[in-house]
Amino acid sequence: MANDPKTLELINADIDGVISSAGKAELEALLADSPEAQALHAEFSALAESLDGLEKLNAPPHLKHTIMASLPQQQAARSKSGSNFLRSLIAAPALGYAAMFAAGSVLTLSLVSSDQVTQSAFDDVTGLVGTISNQVPDGPGIHAMQINRKEVAGTVTLRSSGPLLIVDFDLVSSGAVDIVASYTDQTVWFNGFAQLESPGASISAESGRVTMQIEGKRRYALFLHNAGDRNITIKLQFMSNGVTIYDTKIEYNQPG
Amino acid sequence: MNKPDDKKLMERCVKGDRQAFETLLTRYEKPVYNAAYRMLHNPDDARDITQTVFLKVYEHLDQYDPSQRFFSWVYRITLNESINWLKKMSRQEALDHETADQGSGPEQQADDAQISEGMQAALMMIKTEYRAVIVLKHVLGCSYAEISEVLDIPEKTVKSRLYTARQLLQERLTQQGLH
Repeated sequence: MANDPKTLELINADIDGVISSAGKAELEALLADSPEAQALHAEFSALAESLDGLEKLNAPPHLKHTIMASLPQQQAARSKSGSNFLRSLIAAPALGYAAMFAAGSVLTLSLVSSDQVTQSAFDDVTGLVGTISNQVPDGPGIHAMQINRKEVAGTVTLRSSGPLLIVDFDLVSSGAVDIVASYTDQTVWFNGFAQLESPGASISAESGRVTMQIEGKRRYALFLHNAGDRNITIKLQFMSNGVTIYDTKIEYNQPG
Repeated sequence: MNKPDDKKLMERCVKGDRQAFETLLTRYEKPVYNAAYRMLHNPDDARDITQTVFLKVYEHLDQYDPSQRFFSWVYRITLNESINWLKKMSRQEALDHETADQGSGPEQQADDAQISEGMQAALMMIKTEYRAVIVLKHVLGCSYAEISEVLDIPEKTVKSRLYTARQLLQERLTQQGLH
């Protein structure tokens, strides 16, 4: 019998290059005597060759950058020093925000030209900016999408917190990309903007529309005021050199 | 599978060195993606699994056992995540139907691309425990000992599982008229 366990073991060991010299001699004797065993050996060799020859695919472009951009901002070693009082203080959203703001280099507000922005509106976000320093979450009431274009890749998530909608952009782009976030509901208004990790943010806001420019790796949070807890659709248009490269939308639906 | 620097890189990662993590990511992104793709046969799912795997690695750096080699840890997470994904999405049956249909076209030609597609289809028809050993052996190029380490099973079981997997694949391919 060509397919008895011993013959199969010898054939497989031979194919995998781990057969002993005694085993090799035994196999050769078996093959010499059995056309069935020869056929089986040939079949398994061809199978292994086909499997070894399966194309090695390249990972999608930007995947590495997307992964790096989505890593938690806290150092990985944090869990080994859980009793670190200062670290735990900074981990608290409001204090984290304050610390980041005090550092002066991690949060940037620039080119804000809105007909709706007030200082009190910015004050509202102090307890929330810490949310963008954590891993992109997944859970009830959180809407997330992956962007995976050659020009821009990463994640956009939307969640609500009280009267605020928070749109978290965690992206990397290969060149300058404009992101236009627009919404038709006139009761919603631009409430603030925060950036982590990189300087040089550019944002402009007007009624029903916020435009951000990114280049390289960026982490932005956009805050929209939605006092009526209304269902909102935010259209996202990604543009490069004035040409739309990707259109999508992200929706908030009130719970229940 | 000679990765002498992995351990040092991991030590740096545990200390919070993101650059070291990026080096490991660069090194293992492609094999992890390929393993996930061969387990799932879907590029989007493979991309998501790859992302999940590296995020899990990063989040659980403190749980890394230095006596274990990095590749065996990351490959184990990859296979587990892929299998969990299949379970979660309840896709096994659907894939079986999909792949069963793929080889039945009267105009099918046994060129290299179709053999490769047929092989992937056959892979999707065998149980995930068998698919995993095939992926480790033939896609990731692991030895019996390394497969044993990744799957945490004895080498004897690795051999027996691999031989059975090949037999099953052979049967599926014969059914499709490709071998």
